Amino acid sequence: MTTRFGALSYLAWRALGAHPWKRAVRGGTGTQRFLAAYGSEGLDPTTAEDRAAAEAASACISCGLCEAGCPLAGVAPSIRDLGLHAAFRLYAKGAPELRHAAEGLDACARCAGCEPLCPTGVPISRLVRYFQGKAAERRRLEAAGPTPDGPRT
Amino acid sequence: MAGADPSPNAAPAPTGAPAPRAAPSRVECDVLVVGGGMAGAVAALAARESGGRVVLARRAPGASGLWGGAISVAPDPAALPTTPWAAHAGVVESARRVAATVPGHPYDVLRDRLDRLWNAIEFATGQLSGILAPPTGRNRWLLTPFGRAHPAATCLHSMAAGDLAEVRGVLAVVAPRGHLWWDAGLVAAGAVRARSLGAPEVRLVPLDLFMWEEAALARPFDLARMLEAPGAAEDVGAMLRERLPRHAAAAVFPPVLGLDPAARVPERIAAAAGVPVAEFLSDLPSVPGLRMLRALDARLAEAGVELMAGEVREAQGPGAPARIGGREVVARSWVLATGRFVGGGIARRGRLVETVLGLPVLASEGVFAEAGAHLAARPPGALTGRDSRAAQPLLAAGLRVDADMHPLDAEGRVLHERLHAAGAVVGGHDQASDGTGMGVAMFTGWLAGRAAAGGKGT
Repeated sequence: MTTRFGALSYLAWRALGAHPWKRAVRGGTGTQRFLAAYGSEGLDPTTAEDRAAAEAASACISCGLCEAGCPLAGVAPSIRDLGLHAAFRLYAKGAPELRHAAEGLDACARCAGCEPLCPTGVPISRLVRYFQGKAAERRRLEAAGPTPDGPRT
Repeated sequence: MAGADPSPNAAPAPTGAPAPRAAPSRVECDVLVVGGGMAGAVAALAARESGGRVVLARRAPGASGLWGGAISVAPDPAALPTTPWAAHAGVVESARRVAATVPGHPYDVLRDRLDRLWNAIEFATGQLSGILAPPTGRNRWLLTPFGRAHPAATCLHSMAAGDLAEVRGVLAVVAPRGHLWWDAGLVAAGAVRARSLGAPEVRLVPLDLFMWEEAALARPFDLARMLEAPGAAEDVGAMLRERLPRHAAAAVFPPVLGLDPAARVPERIAAAAGVPVAEFLSDLPSVPGLRMLRALDARLAEAGVELMAGEVREAQGPGAPARIGGREVVARSWVLATGRFVGGGIARRGRLVETVLGLPVLASEGVFAEAGAHLAARPPGALTGRDSRAAQPLLAAGLRVDADMHPLDAEGRVLHERLHAAGAVVGGHDQASDGTGMGVAMFTGWLAGRAAAGGKGT
């Protein structure tokens, strides 16, 4: 009984005392505090737009047919090594992985020649533009990150 | 015949009101085929035989672009893993055995028409004779990239010399040293395992292929283009000639021997090396798949099938207008050849749906055949089993059809007399893994195309 009472009063103290006090002292919006704590680990808040993009990208089955219509695939080393679809697969693993595909995404000449070749109808050029923006955003975040990557204390 | 509209771009007749802006041109045709994979192409070509106006609408290349190079019609289900290949049944008899052992399989639905299966295969392979070797009636045994031998009624011309059952002597499996894409040892293992079934002795032949810098990480399409260059194939052939094992009867290469069959890369290598040259089956990205898409396009254009790019919207079925890429198409008969999950004919949206017309979907395979209509209403996640070798109702999901390729409703009634379905959108079999996918596509495509073009009085 005492254990239960102790636990509940601790939770009450956290909810009514410690937490509001911390919030008042630290300042910043919830998103900012979340990013400060988790941004460097790549756990960005996911927007509805992100979810829609991830869902569209998840239709990629890595068949590689788009590469046949990509004039850059044979020229740009980054696309040649990974394949265009690597950007979708990498993104599916998590936003931080996107940096590995950044070079390939930047090499895209936006000719949209790949799009009619996709058997599952992935809107490739729209996603490439979106991921380019995301990759740039990640680079900014990582450059200005409050904590370096590594084990957190 | 619906040749009333002489120009496909002619605007609809004015109705007195001011002309609507950007009025879509109206196309009237006899047969509309939805889907541009193997089933759709065969249906369009079969329908075109009777001379009507045939339109093929497609959003994108079908799953046929992922094709590895083998026309798999039917493996012999009665053969044991130890049965020598010479004792396996022929292709049509194997299909009959599939029909008898897999309830609900399209071959089972069409069991009374299986005597026409060979006509369909000959028709389809004849249309594509530019890239497909003529079928012989028995299965060829082709090496896969994953260490197995795969039975196929026919295959690309460039693969025919690699039929393990026909190689008399030592088979050289080429291992390109400059590229990590293929594991030649694994490929060769497919023949080693089948040695007692009729496979020849194999020898690995490491060649300094793709050793120049741009090739080391190049993708298969690029490698294929590189080998088309003048002199490249001849160099490879000369290299192979020096390293050929004694009594070599044929050599198999990774499936990148040219994108365009007209470049004759395998023939040029064979001439320089002095042995027949073949490719093994392809993984993804697939050069054979791309060759097939191009061959289908060329054949459809040559046969006078009108191709339309774009998704079919506002579809209501035969006789009613549908919107395809800004144009309005009215067709007397329809053939749905939209594929399954890759092609997009069947989709998972909370439950299984048919995407063009919203037809009822059946999810069943083998022993679940009777429960199909009920199973399809369950969430797709509930339709897979843990044992990967057991029947997987989800993977066999698709339309239920009758022997005239009419889709049926849940009670087994014909939905529309002039609506037909063909290929992977027809359920009852797991087309990706049961070794009958291309055979079903060709057979159902041929039947549906002929049914759609015929019976004009109805």
